[in-house]
Amino acid sequence: MEKTILIGGAAGLGSAVTSHLIGKILCSLGYYVFDYRDYPSLIKGGNNFNVLRIADQPVYSHKQKYDIILALDQGTINLHKKDLKKGGLIFGNKETGPIVQKLQGPQILANDVLIGMFFKHFGVGLKIILAAVEKEFGSKSDLIKKAVEEGYQLVETKEKLKKGQLVKYFISGNEGISIGSIAAGMDLHLAYPMTPASPVLTFLAKRQLENNILVFQPENEIAVVNMALGASFTGAKVMVGTSGGGFALMTEAISLSGMADLPLVIYLAQRTGPSTGVPTHTAQGDLKFALNAGHGEFAKIVVAPGDAKEAIIRTQEAFYLSCKYRTPAIVLGDKHLGESNYTFDELEKSKLAAVSSPVNRASSYEHNALGHTVEDIASVIKGHERRIKKIALVEKEFLKFNPVSVYGPPAGEAGKGSNLIISYGSTKGAIIDALSSLKGFRFLQISYLKPFPKEAVRREIKKSRKVILIENSATGALADVIAEQTGIIIKNKILKYDGRPFISDDIIKNIKKVDED
Amino acid sequence: MKPEELGTKEINTWCPGCPNFSILQAVKEALSNLANQGKLNIENVAMVTGIGCHAKIYDYLNLKGFYGIHGRTLPIAFGVKLGNPGLTVIGFGGDGDTYAEGMEHFIHNCRYNADLTMLVHNNQVFSLTTGQFTPTTEKGFKDGSSPLGLAEKPINPLVLAIEAGASFVARGFALDVPHLGELITQAVMHKGFSFIDILQPCIVYHKYSLPYFNKNVYKLENHDVTDFASALTRAREWDYSYEKDVKIPVGIFYKKERPVFESQWPQLKGAWSTIQRKINWQNVTKEFK
Repeated sequence: MEKTILIGGAAGLGSAVTSHLIGKILCSLGYYVFDYRDYPSLIKGGNNFNVLRIADQPVYSHKQKYDIILALDQGTINLHKKDLKKGGLIFGNKETGPIVQKLQGPQILANDVLIGMFFKHFGVGLKIILAAVEKEFGSKSDLIKKAVEEGYQLVETKEKLKKGQLVKYFISGNEGISIGSIAAGMDLHLAYPMTPASPVLTFLAKRQLENNILVFQPENEIAVVNMALGASFTGAKVMVGTSGGGFALMTEAISLSGMADLPLVIYLAQRTGPSTGVPTHTAQGDLKFALNAGHGEFAKIVVAPGDAKEAIIRTQEAFYLSCKYRTPAIVLGDKHLGESNYTFDELEKSKLAAVSSPVNRASSYEHNALGHTVEDIASVIKGHERRIKKIALVEKEFLKFNPVSVYGPPAGEAGKGSNLIISYGSTKGAIIDALSSLKGFRFLQISYLKPFPKEAVRREIKKSRKVILIENSATGALADVIAEQTGIIIKNKILKYDGRPFISDDIIKNIKKVDED
Repeated sequence: MKPEELGTKEINTWCPGCPNFSILQAVKEALSNLANQGKLNIENVAMVTGIGCHAKIYDYLNLKGFYGIHGRTLPIAFGVKLGNPGLTVIGFGGDGDTYAEGMEHFIHNCRYNADLTMLVHNNQVFSLTTGQFTPTTEKGFKDGSSPLGLAEKPINPLVLAIEAGASFVARGFALDVPHLGELITQAVMHKGFSFIDILQPCIVYHKYSLPYFNKNVYKLENHDVTDFASALTRAREWDYSYEKDVKIPVGIFYKKERPVFESQWPQLKGAWSTIQRKINWQNVTKEFK
């Protein structure tokens, strides 16, 4: 069983909330749901939409052909009708309008009529939906429940969803980063709002008292990161969050973190650049910026989770390594990872405990063991060597954190094995979903970009025939990184730079093209 | 304890005769006095500096310390306070440091009113980079980066601080060590954001300041420090220019307690580093099910 549903409407009409609620109900019925969110940078108007892919097997990406369109306005139908499958259904204003009028409620009730229609179509019991609505909306749910019931009576059950075994977890990448930071024992989260990282700020802010953490929004990103280092000086564990432009403002202090030996975790959620770019859309264009951020030479960690579950563990690892080696760690995500919802049977945290401690002296200057300023030749050399030694130590330790993962059938004989797809970060979902349709392909996911797992990457490339890089960018920066680290040049690149994430159909089509060459 | 016990053995690289020596002395006297009166535990004092001549004080004071970066004394100091509200945090900055590169932090820290002290060594010039103008340099100033003469009027940091909500605003004169020491004492004891703009005449790149200050500085008297309007009027008496002789008041211009930043956060109780965390994973993840 697999269905793809589009829910859309002008910004402010509620498509994000509705898709999340539908997704959550389906997860409670044991289904796997992937929820992709697409919205322009405006508050009211335009066309926001979510794509829900629902299946009885795990799915990690969305599709672009829809079985049902749930339309909150006519614009949604006009815009997306072309992608409706043959025989697909549209539920829209024609159905919801009269009911909203009858209930004399606000326009937003159309969402709830659609929810009722949708679940009736699939034969899901009304009680289950009403309970979920009540849980979501609490005391203000009476009118909403009426609208759901009205919608429920409007259509017949045409297909029957069977109830699955296990209730699933429905979680976004940003939520994964957030609870990963809690699991790591974070004390403070500081951030200045910037899409697509700000959901972490608001998620943690709302839950700060129950988790005994402090969440504060300072005057700008420069303040954010310098406050973080001030707190880190006292032994507090701090994560800051931002996207490209804000990260650019933070780079001076990343270098300070390296020089002053102060732990610092940065969540960098990439979006389409350069500059303001396409602020609510996705990209992987900041890889080299993250790797090279900060002047001077010092140890740095850059780790890139591939889905919401990995986001938890990788954030914990970032805290662990940053605190242990007292140097900055960047968790590199993007809009697609951060704002998409994934489904998992279980949510696990790692056993790693991040341990920091207060220090008496911290300095941006070259300094001796007492923290005093030094400029003489021997001390300058000693300072550099102390910092460079950390690079070697991190390079040794990170190997135990599975810096690469290989999916698909084993390669077989050296040089004659299967073909290899290489990627990092949020492209994982679409690649994994494509893999079963691609005979003779393995997927190498690189999760640590700094330190770089060069031996493992070289080994996998060496035992492959064709090697193809997939990246949500215009240049394929990971190929340059691989060339720098291993000396191997990757010629085949499948790149996407339209601000939208890969879907598995794109990947299958493009890989077949490369494979035929 | 004696003031000199707060010193270090590091070689002092300020120019001979620099008024920074006097600021260093005033700080030592103020802190040792407070320690001797049992009002302060020296172990719990943390200093934060920016970058510039003023910042060398980091090497000359035997305190917990963070030698920060240019313009960022205040966010770092604020972060230290967030990390461990039990610390007495004293920030040192220069005029270029605080009012140019760090102006946004200055204004916002006046608003935040965290319980910390900010001492600005204001010499109206960038000295460590050999004499360029800063936001408090007077109109007409000529040097390497302003050979045609500076066209803009200087800003008045006291007026800015009062307007932005600082709860303790003062001006000191580096060469009047007993008076400056008393101001620093009061600033440290004040609960809230305390700011002192310290006239620190540079004897190399802004030589005319010293004789001008010696002639014109006077101590504020008969001034109600809780009177906002009067504080602004007194703060405007001198506009940081040298065109003609104008009397320069030093002392406390404004002082009025209001709730400190830390008091707004129930979870901000002590040093985070002392918290033993036990994560209840079931609780953290249940909302996703």
